[in-house]
Amino acid sequence: MEVGFVGLGAMGAPMVDRLIEAGHKLAVYARRIETAKHLLNRGVRLCASPAYLAASCEVVFLAVTGTADVEHLVCGDDGLLEGARAGLVIIDMSTIAPRRAQELAAQAQGLGVEMLDAPVSGGEIGARNGTLSIMVGGDAAVLERVRPLLNVLGKTIVHMGPAGSGQIAKACNQLVLVAAIEACAEAAMLAHAAGVDFARVREAMLAGSASSGALDAFGGRMATREFARGVEARLHHKDFALIADTAAQAWVPVPVSAAVQQQLNALMALKLGREDTSGLLKVLEATRADRS
Amino acid sequence: MEIGFIGLGIMGRPMAQNIARAGHALHLYARRPESLAPFEGKATIHASAALVGSHADIVITIVADAPDVEAVALGPDGVAAGARAAGRSDLILIDMSTIAPPAARGIATRLAEAGVTMLDAPVSGGEPGAIHGTLTIMVGGPQPEFERALPVLQAMGRSVTLIGPTGAGQVAKACNQILTGAGVAAVAEAFNLARAHGVDPANVRTALMGGMARSAILDNHGNRMIARNFKPGFKSWMHQKDLRIVLEEAHRLGLGLPLAAAVAQMFNAMQGAGMAEEDSVAMLKLYERLSGVE
Repeated sequence: MEVGFVGLGAMGAPMVDRLIEAGHKLAVYARRIETAKHLLNRGVRLCASPAYLAASCEVVFLAVTGTADVEHLVCGDDGLLEGARAGLVIIDMSTIAPRRAQELAAQAQGLGVEMLDAPVSGGEIGARNGTLSIMVGGDAAVLERVRPLLNVLGKTIVHMGPAGSGQIAKACNQLVLVAAIEACAEAAMLAHAAGVDFARVREAMLAGSASSGALDAFGGRMATREFARGVEARLHHKDFALIADTAAQAWVPVPVSAAVQQQLNALMALKLGREDTSGLLKVLEATRADRS
Repeated sequence: MEIGFIGLGIMGRPMAQNIARAGHALHLYARRPESLAPFEGKATIHASAALVGSHADIVITIVADAPDVEAVALGPDGVAAGARAAGRSDLILIDMSTIAPPAARGIATRLAEAGVTMLDAPVSGGEPGAIHGTLTIMVGGPQPEFERALPVLQAMGRSVTLIGPTGAGQVAKACNQILTGAGVAAVAEAFNLARAHGVDPANVRTALMGGMARSAILDNHGNRMIARNFKPGFKSWMHQKDLRIVLEEAHRLGLGLPLAAAVAQMFNAMQGAGMAEEDSVAMLKLYERLSGVE
């Protein structure tokens, strides 16, 4: 089957590479066409609009930034739903509001189009190595149809339930991840303030009960003060609005997430949104008289 | 003056009564006819918000949230449509609901296109303030319309302040909701601490009211907590909604509000605990529940 793809960012680009390497025929739509030109000599077809892409594909992947981007691509003028034939499967790997994911899937279904929300965790490295964790919401039978494609991108593919439930899982993922990053930042700050080298603290912790992916990756960048590489913190900041909104709608108190969200807000105020989320350490440092 | 009033809830009903008492003619519309009963023979009842807009010099709205304001002001049967139908271009709409500042600015812009000037004028002071005409009213909008509306606003409030341009009233209200939300939580937390020590919170309150920690919230809300009077007042779901607005704005601006965020979680928990329709002072019960007291 021909596979469509929209979103050639830090996550989307390596996913496209893997799909090509796995022998799939790809078609791509990019808002700025120049970002996709290099794919031409790898046999990828470039499409002038999402509608055109939908018309020629059986499956279309989306890996874009936010709810508004997905809405625009799916329902906008010249959007996927305008060009789609019945039976098209849209796999949205972006992180968006769970409720909107549900509504979009219902709208698509009215036109005979299946939509899965399939946000991922595992970062750029996971995307490159095909080891992503993929959290899928939507029809289980549709997931089985496209599972061979998802197997190219991820190692762990879990069906969460109906449309929107993949996004709920992603919200849980972000909540746990960024709270852990904030905890690393606080530990780094505390160690440093007491004159203890955080790199050594981290080394010991990684071998103990407090070991985590966050401590490994983000804690590592805090230890070496390499704040430029990694995940752009503005994306986590964006996700926390979804978490807060989901929690308030569900009447669930999330005291730690709420506190973490405010640290992310402060990070944005300090103009650190384009750097890695390990910059949460800099937010704590900004309160210190002896800051470097 | 001919004053339209839409939104005859806990706050709106006594506010409208105070306007009538000040000698203004009332024009009312209500979705639920039973809320009009107290005004029978004392006001002109209309079949739509549009008809209120055709007959009044100033229309006041005080409803739950931005979509409600939008429907009443800009809907097909809304105030702006009525003003247009009557060929009026000097109508003032005073929205006293609590909504997000950008929503207020958006609605004001669209009303201006229809020739209606909007003032955002949310209130503080609760039901007692509404009944006694002692509300604090925080106004955003242009000065001339503020001055024209001032006598009507003064019929409902004791402290009426023009804060700044359109939206500024809602910004002041957001600040107010941070202070009242955190204040209620602080009083509940302190009373729960006193209780855990076996100390009577009533005596604590009396003592603190003589010192630096005295406040309107310790006085009024504290009193209701001690009396275990959780009747609204101000329903906790509305406080939850208001803090959501505050925190959404904080997110949009990239601004850390750690205290408001923590307090908002207590309001989330109150909704899940079945206290949505009770006053915010019911937060005391949430603290008790989290302390193993039932």
